[in-house]
Amino acid sequence: MKRILPFVIIAVVLGGGLLTARYLQGASTETPKLSPSPNASPNASAEASVVAPNEPGAEPSHALGDAKAPVTLEEFGDFECPPCGMLHPVLKGIETEYGPQKVRIVFREFPLVPNHVHALAAARAAEAAGLQGKFWEMHDLIYEHQKDWHEAFDVRPIFDGYAKSIGLDMKQFTEESASEIVERRIFLDGKRAHSLGVSGTPTVFLNGKEVPFQSLAPDKLKPLINAELAAHQ
Amino acid sequence: MSSINETDRPVVARRAAILYGAIALVSLIGLTDAIYLTVEHLSGRSVRCTITSGCSEVLSSEYATVRGYPLAALGAVAYFTVFSLATLAAFGYRGLGKLLLPLVAVMFLTTLWLLYLQAFVIHHFCQYCLLSALVTTVLTVLVAVSSKPVRVK
Repeated sequence: MKRILPFVIIAVVLGGGLLTARYLQGASTETPKLSPSPNASPNASAEASVVAPNEPGAEPSHALGDAKAPVTLEEFGDFECPPCGMLHPVLKGIETEYGPQKVRIVFREFPLVPNHVHALAAARAAEAAGLQGKFWEMHDLIYEHQKDWHEAFDVRPIFDGYAKSIGLDMKQFTEESASEIVERRIFLDGKRAHSLGVSGTPTVFLNGKEVPFQSLAPDKLKPLINAELAAHQ
Repeated sequence: MSSINETDRPVVARRAAILYGAIALVSLIGLTDAIYLTVEHLSGRSVRCTITSGCSEVLSSEYATVRGYPLAALGAVAYFTVFSLATLAAFGYRGLGKLLLPLVAVMFLTTLWLLYLQAFVIHHFCQYCLLSALVTTVLTVLVAVSSKPVRVK
């Protein structure tokens, strides 16, 4: 008996380890059913539309693509968050591949302060650019150069450089970066995020339904979009 | 190893069994931690940036995977191997106990490398990775003690 006892113990620990992994995985993949975005397609599923509406977020939202596009991807992002930076080219690729008639992309501010010290400044810069009609140009520059600024001590001169490069009125940009209207837009997007139960970034909703984080890779996200498109044909 | 006379054998065997038992128990802490980190990594929960987590930067870095496999999963395999070898050694399979020293040495060197990456490259620390570093350090000390020649008066 003593000879086989250690093997029994090892087998029990192996089984226990596998069961623990399975339990933890099950707990982490449970995604709550969330109500749809008001920006989501009017064709959003009937099942989701019976849920009470959530906070609308800042209006008008930053959206790329046709308002009647059958698929709406609503991203809650933090400009300093590395996975958000990695998602940026993925969404860019989807925007190019599907076009504005099929997919609409909405960006919501969700700066994770105080974890990310420059996230709020980046959100303010993007929103201030938005007030001059250049939100997406600034959004792209901030994400594409994330590695250049996220360790900087003072990011303002860097964002000022981006603002200049996209031809913003610098006086207006500086004033509006610290303005109440910009502050309020970020606050309203944050309110919407909290009402939807968003706790991390990037969080993406596809026609009002949260896409699990592990499905945000292009090879997994595209089948989800294709399925929605097929359902609305 | 110094010569041990017949009357000392039970004492030496008991000491070795206690040490191997301790190694097995400590490796269980590391195994649980590594399983948790692996699941977090695969589910993407900690890889996302969250308000409370400090692990997002570490687990989303390029160093968190080796050829596509989560480093935490390799850690779990390593801790399970240490647990198995120590358990078998505690039950009298002493030859297997000798394999612990090279295995734990590799784990300790890997831990030092990961601590360096967290401190000087990623500039963020993940508390679960630090717990793993502590467990590996304790294992290294225990294995070093168990490998030391026994001198019985």
